[in-house]
Amino acid sequence: MLKMTGINKVFRTDTVQTHALRDFSLHVEEGEFVTITGPSGCGKTTFLNLAGLLETYTSGQYLLDGEDVSSLSDAQRARLRNQKIGFIFQSFNLMPDLNLFDNVDVPLRYRGVSAKVRKERIENALAAVGLANRQRHLPSQLSGGQQQRVAIARALVGEPRFLLADEPTGNLDSNTAEGVMELLEQINQQGTTIIMVTHDPSLAARSHRNVHILDGQIKSDDRNSKARAA
Amino acid sequence: MELGPITRALLRNKLGVILIALQIAFTMTVIVNAVYIISDRAANMARPSGLDEANTFHISSIGYGNSFNESVVVDEDLNMIRQLPGVIDAMVTNQIPVSGSGSSSGYSLEPGRRDMLVPAAIYRVDDHFLEAMDLSLVAGVPFTPQQIVRRTPTDERQPTETILSQAMAESLYPDDWRQALNQNIYGPDGSALRVVGIVDRLQAPWPTFTYVENSMLTPEITLDNSTTYLVRTEPGYRDELMVEVEERLAAAPHQRILRNNQSLEYTRTESYRIDSLMTTILKVVIGTLMFITAMGIVGLAVFSINRRRKQIGTRRALGATRFSILRYFMTENLIISAAGVTLGAIMTVGFNMFLVQTFNMPRIDWFYAPIGMLALLLLGQLAVIGPARSAAGITPALATRSV
Repeated sequence: MLKMTGINKVFRTDTVQTHALRDFSLHVEEGEFVTITGPSGCGKTTFLNLAGLLETYTSGQYLLDGEDVSSLSDAQRARLRNQKIGFIFQSFNLMPDLNLFDNVDVPLRYRGVSAKVRKERIENALAAVGLANRQRHLPSQLSGGQQQRVAIARALVGEPRFLLADEPTGNLDSNTAEGVMELLEQINQQGTTIIMVTHDPSLAARSHRNVHILDGQIKSDDRNSKARAA
Repeated sequence: MELGPITRALLRNKLGVILIALQIAFTMTVIVNAVYIISDRAANMARPSGLDEANTFHISSIGYGNSFNESVVVDEDLNMIRQLPGVIDAMVTNQIPVSGSGSSSGYSLEPGRRDMLVPAAIYRVDDHFLEAMDLSLVAGVPFTPQQIVRRTPTDERQPTETILSQAMAESLYPDDWRQALNQNIYGPDGSALRVVGIVDRLQAPWPTFTYVENSMLTPEITLDNSTTYLVRTEPGYRDELMVEVEERLAAAPHQRILRNNQSLEYTRTESYRIDSLMTTILKVVIGTLMFITAMGIVGLAVFSINRRRKQIGTRRALGATRFSILRYFMTENLIISAAGVTLGAIMTVGFNMFLVQTFNMPRIDWFYAPIGMLALLLLGQLAVIGPARSAAGITPALATRSV
């Protein structure tokens, strides 16, 4: 599904060179729920950006669904993101001027899906996160948990092969975070691969596998025996 | 295209959008009307007088003293001028086309019908007018030397023939201007003139005269000590002959003052100076307004993009290509501009109606508004393309950054 081998990511300025990821290798199988943990600045977000084709890497090899992404153009990478990857962000990243329907519609618009199919998919996605009756509401009219549910609906509406979640519960209270986590577990149980960056050890413990990063390298890669079965 | 979501999003941020749309509407209103005024003035300025303006000049001679015999002096002067190498012909006249100064009267088909008088400029000329003015006779015959009446202002002898411009003939005989030939026409005092010829074109001296194309020529030389010579030269001789003619006239032993030695081109330029100035001012206004509007569009776009950098990054993360982002902002601008130019079209027509009613200006041609709309839409698209390209360059990685 996702196979990184010897990935290096170096940020350069005129005077400073920073190695965000060093000789980073990770193989994620289809259907896995992998959490990425580590202290701030360790390279979690850089990994997520590379995995989600949001940034390019300096060296190494990255195969996504068996396809080497290193030679893809910017437009090809955008198309791949749109078709195969769903993103969930810590701050939800909803468009404040668009209602829920239009927010969930965004990735489908870039896929050239017909209006009729889009409508059906959006309604199903919003129904799946329990917000079917709030389609015309603006994000500002929702709670944080509801907004993250909208973001999950937006991530799912394109039926991606895997979800990349960047601390999806980081801005939520514990009860709401639990609801979002349960939703992600349901999604994973339905077959969607999930890679989630988190600071919360209790959430990491609920995944199939926890990868701990330190100074741009994988410090540990543990399979959780206590994880809820897929 | 994302017309629906973009429109709905714009409606939630009305103030900036309304201000820019209003600016576009105002700009369009002023620009379209200004362009129409400019084109109207330009068309006026481009109207031919009927003369060979590039190769014609005129000079006035004002005699004084008891020994000044104008009738003799005119013959001497014309004889001298006509013999100069490079001179095609020369004539004496009471007024110069496009000079802004001259005399006019009204003529009708029936005597005593003051209500039917058609206004026309009256050119008093000698029998050399056809060559000197480079006019084309489209009907009838020119004046003969015998028809030229030499008279003082108090002399009751009047010419009995006239030659009309075709426009004047059309005013008198709208159905068929040729019917004017050999007919009598009557002045305000009932005096008759027989139409012996018609020339294709001869403008009156006043560019703003409603009947500027209506002119008449009468065969007479008015002896009032003030004479204007009109000289037509071969191409390339005008400037040197202007100097030579003035020198020779000055050298002749007559008590007189020579003045207004001007090419007809200069006379035209002077006559239309206000129009040229107004055209220049309007062009500056148009350029300034377009620049300000373009800057307004750029400003709104840059502000909007800076406010939505994270949203743009998120859109990129969700699959938008750079072109998709570029198209998004171009479309957004198109919607704002479309609203502006639609309002602008209404305001343009309204403002023109105000100008027509208040200042008696011409009604705008129908195609000016749609052309203005297209021009402003294009201006908007050109103005926004820079900011939109910058937005398209925003990295999708911005979606995961906290600021």
